[in-house]
Amino acid sequence: MLRQHLTRLVQFRDLLYVLTVHRINIRYKQSILGYCWAILHPALLVLIYTVIFSRFVRVPTDGMPYALFAFSALLPWTFFSNGMSGATIGLVSHSHLLLKVYFPREILPLSYVFAALADFLTASGVFALLMLYYGVSVTINVLWAIPAILTLTVFLTGLTLLTSAFQVRFRDVGVALPLVLQVWMFATPVVYSLASVPAKLRFWYDFNPMVGIVETFRGAVLHGASANWTLLGGSFAISLTLAVGAYIWFKHVEATFADII
Amino acid sequence: MVDIEFRHVSKRYAIPKARFRQQPRASLWHGWRKWASHKPEFWALRDVSFKVEHGEALGIIGHNGAGKSTLLKMLSHITAPSSGEIIIRGNLSALIEISTGFHPELTGRENVYLNGVIFGMTRREVGEKLPGIIEFSGIGDFIDVPVKQYSSGMYLRLGFAIAAHLDPDILLLDEILAVGDVAFQWKCLDRIEQLRKAGRTILLVSHDLAAIERLCDRAILLSRGQIVCEGIPSVVTAEYQHSTLLISDSPASSATLSRTVECTKFSYRGETGAEDEPVRTGDCMMVRLNYLAHTALDNVVFNVYLYWPSGYLCTQLSTGQSGTSVAKGTGQIEFLCPFVNLRPGLYLVDVSAERPPEVMDWRHRCAILRVDAGSSVLGDFYMPHEARLFQDGRASRPPEIVSSFNELYSGGS
Repeated sequence: MLRQHLTRLVQFRDLLYVLTVHRINIRYKQSILGYCWAILHPALLVLIYTVIFSRFVRVPTDGMPYALFAFSALLPWTFFSNGMSGATIGLVSHSHLLLKVYFPREILPLSYVFAALADFLTASGVFALLMLYYGVSVTINVLWAIPAILTLTVFLTGLTLLTSAFQVRFRDVGVALPLVLQVWMFATPVVYSLASVPAKLRFWYDFNPMVGIVETFRGAVLHGASANWTLLGGSFAISLTLAVGAYIWFKHVEATFADII
Repeated sequence: MVDIEFRHVSKRYAIPKARFRQQPRASLWHGWRKWASHKPEFWALRDVSFKVEHGEALGIIGHNGAGKSTLLKMLSHITAPSSGEIIIRGNLSALIEISTGFHPELTGRENVYLNGVIFGMTRREVGEKLPGIIEFSGIGDFIDVPVKQYSSGMYLRLGFAIAAHLDPDILLLDEILAVGDVAFQWKCLDRIEQLRKAGRTILLVSHDLAAIERLCDRAILLSRGQIVCEGIPSVVTAEYQHSTLLISDSPASSATLSRTVECTKFSYRGETGAEDEPVRTGDCMMVRLNYLAHTALDNVVFNVYLYWPSGYLCTQLSTGQSGTSVAKGTGQIEFLCPFVNLRPGLYLVDVSAERPPEVMDWRHRCAILRVDAGSSVLGDFYMPHEARLFQDGRASRPPEIVSSFNELYSGGS
């Protein structure tokens, strides 16, 4: 069954590609700054957090300039949060298509995930320049960023399959999402370091897959650290279970989307 | 070989009501389950079974809400049946308002790619078909302009052009014939005919009965989610006409009519065939109108109006302005038509008894006149004619119009 669904998805791979490119292109149509926004957006966020957490409040950053410290975590986080906000409403905002044409429905949320991934790659370029500016050198361990981002993509895919399908039935999901993302960000070591989390909370804290992902990514690019196996492995296991389960469920309820959207 | 098979297919829709007001604490999951098993329901289709052979063109007609769209949606996998089984062999494309997939900010070309892949083509296939699509749509240089700047006609034409270039084994068409101007409509019909001749299986849902008759081998009439009639298109469309049009009563409500003289029966008979059987173009025809006069009256005018299926008045038979005198009791008017000038099709009939300006009786849509193919006719109506050949250099007379007619009409009979 799963195999059949995946074959179908492969048949429609061009649709996924075209929709993803289309998302990236369409976002900045009729705007003056155009693609610059893909860079400006994370850059401004970094600026804000830097002002707050290194001027107003001092946050320990393991000896790194705060801008780099925050940016290195904001990169995967922004990928996650952009992917979530886009993909969750992905099915509902294409109801005209859902009512008219058949194609594997998961392509809609997936196209947002991949568009967010593309934005992540653009912003990573800016981050690399910032690293050069601060004179931070990288080691071979920077390659650990790849499994971290892979885990994140799997996690995001699984989660958005759930949220986008729920959004079809309950629009509450989309309304609650910005708030949930806000809380989630503060439950993830983005603006502070993992070291500042109280030890007795760590057991529960680590169940958040984003902890392993963000921490591995930051460690790999900033400190040349190799991955914490339990942390990243745990995140990956949770993400993969979620993605497979969510996909099976999604394909199961997919046929009713057109009736209730 | 059977391409499409419906086996006892039913589709039930739950009618949503204000559902969380009663249970504010219902969990999402509970709400989901509850939704799925909700009580008020509506059967869009009930126990529908039919088959479509490979290469066959099937027309589906029915009133609004009869279940046509639901049927198409299930065929194209957009929604699943509540019970029963649908078997499809071959790849299937549904052309249902294709331009809905257009994104206003993208250019025509970008939209062609987007829609092409939405309908299951690969980018390479779209690229190969692009020149053909642009040509078919007649959009020309506008192809590189964002579609938000298109006129609505261009929008639809581009949409159909994409549709026309999909190359499925089975093609589903839903009311797309209402696209663009007349010339473009013909282009579309021709394209469908081409696909048909190429052996594609076609399923056409339309209110355009003429298109169904022209394009389909077989038709199905749906009513309230069930198949009520199935067979050759002309029979099924006639059945549809009867079911829709005969029930509707006079718009000028019968209460306001005096009915001093009543029209009691309308019938017709062609040159061959029995009463009320189809007449043929070019044949002669007799139309009979029975009446009942409650008092003796002068200046009674009897009229028979023939309408196109679209509702436009096509022509009228009348006893004439000054009318006739009728005695008390029953009687009948016969209208003799030497040539049926009507082209093949169905004509809706109104009959009236009038005494200008008073309308004494008006029977709205009281019958259907069916005209079959006789003398060949292209265009709106048949003009009775004969053709004679005169060759130059042979002993012949110059065609002199009046004497020719005299010869034709006195000498002949």
